[in-house]
Amino acid sequence: MRQYETAFLITPKLEEEEMENLIQKMAEVIKKNKGKMVNIEKWGKRKMAYPINGLDEAFYVFFHYQGDTAIPVELERRFRQAETIIRYMTLRKELQASPRKRAKAMKEEKHEAEEERGEKEFEEEKESLIETEKPIEEK
Amino acid sequence: MAREQRDRSSYRRYFPPKRKYCRFCERNIKEIDYKNVDILRRYVPERGKIAPRRLTGTCSYHQRKLSTAIKRARLLALLPYIED
Repeated sequence: MRQYETAFLITPKLEEEEMENLIQKMAEVIKKNKGKMVNIEKWGKRKMAYPINGLDEAFYVFFHYQGDTAIPVELERRFRQAETIIRYMTLRKELQASPRKRAKAMKEEKHEAEEERGEKEFEEEKESLIETEKPIEEK
Repeated sequence: MAREQRDRSSYRRYFPPKRKYCRFCERNIKEIDYKNVDILRRYVPERGKIAPRRLTGTCSYHQRKLSTAIKRARLLALLPYIED
């Protein structure tokens, strides 16, 4: 289970009702994939900072939800198909451990793995050395 | 040179050279949300460029958060990429 936030912009050309339907449809995707909708934010019609596809305004909608990776993938696939959606963006909203802690954890993991592998690699190296030496002798 | 000075003076208007401090640390903010356009606006004066740390006094941690937030907001057309 992960926390996601998906934002998308809908064309202002749509009627109020059509827009509600579209949002409903997208929200159903989350339900179908056993996700949990935490919050829907609707900003309504808003002027964009720059024109996209010749449009100056757009409806801003934000989904906050929890669920598996399949949900944002499916949502974005639908966004791409729908011509009424001008732009979208998905963020994973997890609080990650600080980089220092993560680096430490990674280092320890690597160290352990290296110790295990160490002996095997040494033997392999020996073998490869022998193999490369042979053709030289033949020449 | 003349151009550089003009640029600097325009930034100075937004961030007058008083005692600088990080406004995010002051309020103990951990994450900067890209949806909070009113706050982000203060850090992209006139041209829509991200204001440098040396002028705003933002600490490096918050400057990093701020710049990603601004870039995300730009993608959703909440902030301009360029403005003149």
